[in-house]
Amino acid sequence: MNLLIALLSEGANLLWFMIVLPAVVGILVWIFREYHLPRLLLVVSSAMINLVCALSLDQAEGFARSFSFGPCGLELAFRIYEFSALFLTLTAAAFLLVSLYSVVFLQDQKSAGLFMFYMFISLAMINGALLSDNLGVMLFFWEGILCTLFGMLLINNLHQPKTAVRALVLSGTADLLLMLGIIITVVQAGTPKFSEIQRLPITGVSAVGFLCMLLGAVGKAGGMPFHSWIPSAAEDAPTPFMVAFPGALEKLLGIYLSVRIVTDLYDLQPGSGMSTAVMLLGTLTIIGGVAMALIQKDMKRLLSYHAISQVGYMVLGIGTALPVGILGGLFHMLNNAIYKSCLYMTAGSIEKQTGTTDLREFGGLAKRMPLTTACFTLCALAIAGVPPFNGFFSKELVFDAALESNTLFYLGALLGAFMTAVSFLKMGRVAFAGELKLPMGKKTIRETSFGLLLPMGVLAILCLVLGVVNTWPLDQLFGSALGITEVYSGWPHSTMLVVVSLAVLALALVDHIYGCKKTGSALQAADHIYYAAGLKRIYQAAEQGWFDPYRWLVSLAGVFSDFCVLIERQVSWFYDTAAVKVLLGTGDRLQQANDGSLSRYLGAALLGAAGVAVIFIVML
Amino acid sequence: MPILDYITVSFLVIPLIILVLNNLFSKQFVERINFKLVGVVAILQMALAVAGFSLLSAAHWEDYRFSLLWDWTMEEAGYFAVNSLSLVFLFCIGFVLLVAVLVAKATVEQRKTAFVNLVLTLLLGMNGMVMVRDLFSLYVFLEIVGISSFVLVALFQLETGLEGAFKYLVMSSLATVFILTGLAFVFMQTGSLQYAQAWADWLSVQGTAQLYTYLAFILLISGFALKTGVVPFHSWLPDAHQSANTAVSILLSGIVIKVAGIYGFIVLTKLFPGFPPVALALRILGLLSIVVGALFALRQTHFKRLVAYSSVSQMGYILLGLSSGTTLGFLGAMVHIFNHATFKSTLFTNAAALSAQAGTLELGELGGLEKKMPVTGFSSITAFLSTAGIPPLAGFWSKLLIIMALWKSEAEGFAAVALLASILTAAYFLRLQKKVFFGQLPEKFGAVTEIGGSVKFAELMLSAVNIAVGVGFPLILLFFEGRGLL
Repeated sequence: MNLLIALLSEGANLLWFMIVLPAVVGILVWIFREYHLPRLLLVVSSAMINLVCALSLDQAEGFARSFSFGPCGLELAFRIYEFSALFLTLTAAAFLLVSLYSVVFLQDQKSAGLFMFYMFISLAMINGALLSDNLGVMLFFWEGILCTLFGMLLINNLHQPKTAVRALVLSGTADLLLMLGIIITVVQAGTPKFSEIQRLPITGVSAVGFLCMLLGAVGKAGGMPFHSWIPSAAEDAPTPFMVAFPGALEKLLGIYLSVRIVTDLYDLQPGSGMSTAVMLLGTLTIIGGVAMALIQKDMKRLLSYHAISQVGYMVLGIGTALPVGILGGLFHMLNNAIYKSCLYMTAGSIEKQTGTTDLREFGGLAKRMPLTTACFTLCALAIAGVPPFNGFFSKELVFDAALESNTLFYLGALLGAFMTAVSFLKMGRVAFAGELKLPMGKKTIRETSFGLLLPMGVLAILCLVLGVVNTWPLDQLFGSALGITEVYSGWPHSTMLVVVSLAVLALALVDHIYGCKKTGSALQAADHIYYAAGLKRIYQAAEQGWFDPYRWLVSLAGVFSDFCVLIERQVSWFYDTAAVKVLLGTGDRLQQANDGSLSRYLGAALLGAAGVAVIFIVML
Repeated sequence: MPILDYITVSFLVIPLIILVLNNLFSKQFVERINFKLVGVVAILQMALAVAGFSLLSAAHWEDYRFSLLWDWTMEEAGYFAVNSLSLVFLFCIGFVLLVAVLVAKATVEQRKTAFVNLVLTLLLGMNGMVMVRDLFSLYVFLEIVGISSFVLVALFQLETGLEGAFKYLVMSSLATVFILTGLAFVFMQTGSLQYAQAWADWLSVQGTAQLYTYLAFILLISGFALKTGVVPFHSWLPDAHQSANTAVSILLSGIVIKVAGIYGFIVLTKLFPGFPPVALALRILGLLSIVVGALFALRQTHFKRLVAYSSVSQMGYILLGLSSGTTLGFLGAMVHIFNHATFKSTLFTNAAALSAQAGTLELGELGGLEKKMPVTGFSSITAFLSTAGIPPLAGFWSKLLIIMALWKSEAEGFAAVALLASILTAAYFLRLQKKVFFGQLPEKFGAVTEIGGSVKFAELMLSAVNIAVGVGFPLILLFFEGRGLL
């Protein structure tokens, strides 16, 4: 123990420890997969140790350290500095709550040990990716997360791994783009080290590198166009997976890299074409995600589309390349991690009690599950952007930046905010308000267990706290980590923005009431949007998968494989038929010509001599 | 150094003495011991070559000159000489002769005295060829080699043997005409046929009447190409090698075509280096041989004929190595000469074993003999893999050196085709292996057993050499490097 403390007091060893600890704990958890209590203790205590380590690194002065290994000059280059230490701490904090929730949620299930194993390995990979100072090393850890993701999605679906394959294809494509982007970046910069790359100008080849890297990073966060596995994961992955990955950890990692790309690796100028392109991607993600969320009738699926849509705000904010936008994007990332994982947790606890998350089958849970209802309400208010919750403040910052860059994107983001509010009004009213309605076969339900309520409560209260006291996250955490000196904390600077936002919220309320009146039920409150002129076509196309990049990829793969089959046939025809025929045929011809007559032999020899003479004549 | 005198002289004297002894005593007595005597001569030749090589390199001498009965230091006197190149050839000659005698013990039943006489004459001719130092003496020994070879092919009075020998004779006469005319042109130009002077003289007259020089080159290249059996001068070779007694085939394919043909090319390229048309002609002839020989081999139905065409193809690689004009290519060619001697002897030894045990060499009739003749099958497979250039067997290294040399001398296209042609080599030998050793065993071969005695010993020895040279090749490379050749 003393040895361990002595080892850890050296900061550099702490870097190792942050990667080795989760990996070892993961294996231990898997070994003790049969026993709930040791697993719970192990998970919570190690998540806490991880948090403590992260905090102590956050307190320390930034430093870099390389560990060389192997004969070929390979080295693991790590670097800790304010920004990465901040993300390390946020990840550790999120992981503590998420792992507590997961281990309690899965306590009766056989797959719990395996799931927690993957969770901890993922933590090791995320820590590694956050600590890496070398783009290649980071890519290694980054790809590791793809593996654990695949494993987790396989857990309950070994025989029908459709979602897992979908996630692997989409995330894998995003990672390939990232790899390509990293290669271009390294070639352009001449060094693979984060700390040595001076912000490259975005021109020519570098623009391709920038776009590839950013798409890869945003893809990890769940943004378009690599999003469509998340809703299908909502259907067949364990709920803790949704809480942990699309909810919190992947967002943290993806946005971390996006911000680093924009602020460290490349010189994204506000108002440049590339900035506009990124903002367009963000706005499309906002609108596309939330528009699909609007018509969902299942809590987890609905939340999944919001998980996509919320990334849009972050990308929009970061894409402006303005300090206020990047700050807003980062703050929104933190807020989203808090309320989105909490919302998934409430969906999980409802699932635990009612056995379903389909909004058509249950309703009016407020009286029976008051604490869950309270958590949901707080988070829903936050995600809808109602003051003074945290979501309001981060959205205002993003709006501010968007308005400064281009009014069109601001309007798009407002549209997204409107639909977000509408869909949460619908979901909240159906699930919690009104008369109690239970799925078939369920007589009675009660509030969910303490182990699940604890992380939910902490997160829900954080939504309010971070909103009211937004000085701390904005100035102390992100502002100082990014080196932004202007103060954006406190009440939004522009009154006009606040008024417009509140008007949008009021409009959403009006729309909801109108929808309820028109259809007579809260569940169908948003259906008039679905049936609105012109939108129905688009929605139907979306439901048939026309906008699903996975479908594009699969059909592209089909075309490609047809093409390959064609080529392969030609190649094997060449080898198996044509080449053999030509060679054997030539052999036969030669054999026929060589009939054993001496005159032919002599003729051939004389011809040969003449040939040699020709060579001499040609050469001289 | 007098001991070197004895060594060098014995390369010529020993065959002569044994030749006399072979005819001095009664036939009954001689035929009991003469094969053994030739075997001893072969081993002695290998030992002497090794001894001479070490003495020569210990003394750092390029050349060691000697004569038989006359004083070579006199002005205008001819002389013999050995250098490391000729000692390597002498070693190879001894090696192949040993294998041939081991096989002959099983295959030659009649006319043993005549066979031994001819083999010894052949040996004398080949030894002389690599030790003479003027072009005319080279021609004289070449004729000795040629005539002993025709008679060896015809010796056993088989009808096909006579036909093969006749074709060989006719084609060789053409070669003689070419070479002799070529030499005449050289002599017209330079006034000397001594190796040492020909080059200097040729340089001095270069630029005047070049026509005769080029004619000389064309004729000499065609002549030696006929002797080597390079495409399109190859047509006699499969006939002669197929129809001869297998022991004779080993001698012809294993060493005679190299001494009579390739060595001529070596002399030519050494005497007149850096002459682009010569290099190009060798390159084109080499490539043509490789590809056309392999295509011919693909369609053969007779074991020995297939292996003979394989020799045509392999000679192409040696020519390519020589054509590069670099030390690397030359070394590759030399190593390939030795390796080819090894694996071609192996395959002909296999032919002897098969024809003795199974009674036929027609590929269509053979099959499934792998279990019945494991040693023959194994040695055949090592030989074929080595020919196809599969690492770590010997053939891989020599082909590698040749192709590297070609690549470096900016003949990338030739190198690529030579490399691709290895696939053809593998193809025709795989076909051979499949037809002979794999597949269904025909009923009539139910009682076939493995061959024993000297042939089995030869098979094992050759496989061992093949594998050992392959595995130990890094040591050989180190030796080359130590001598500053690489």
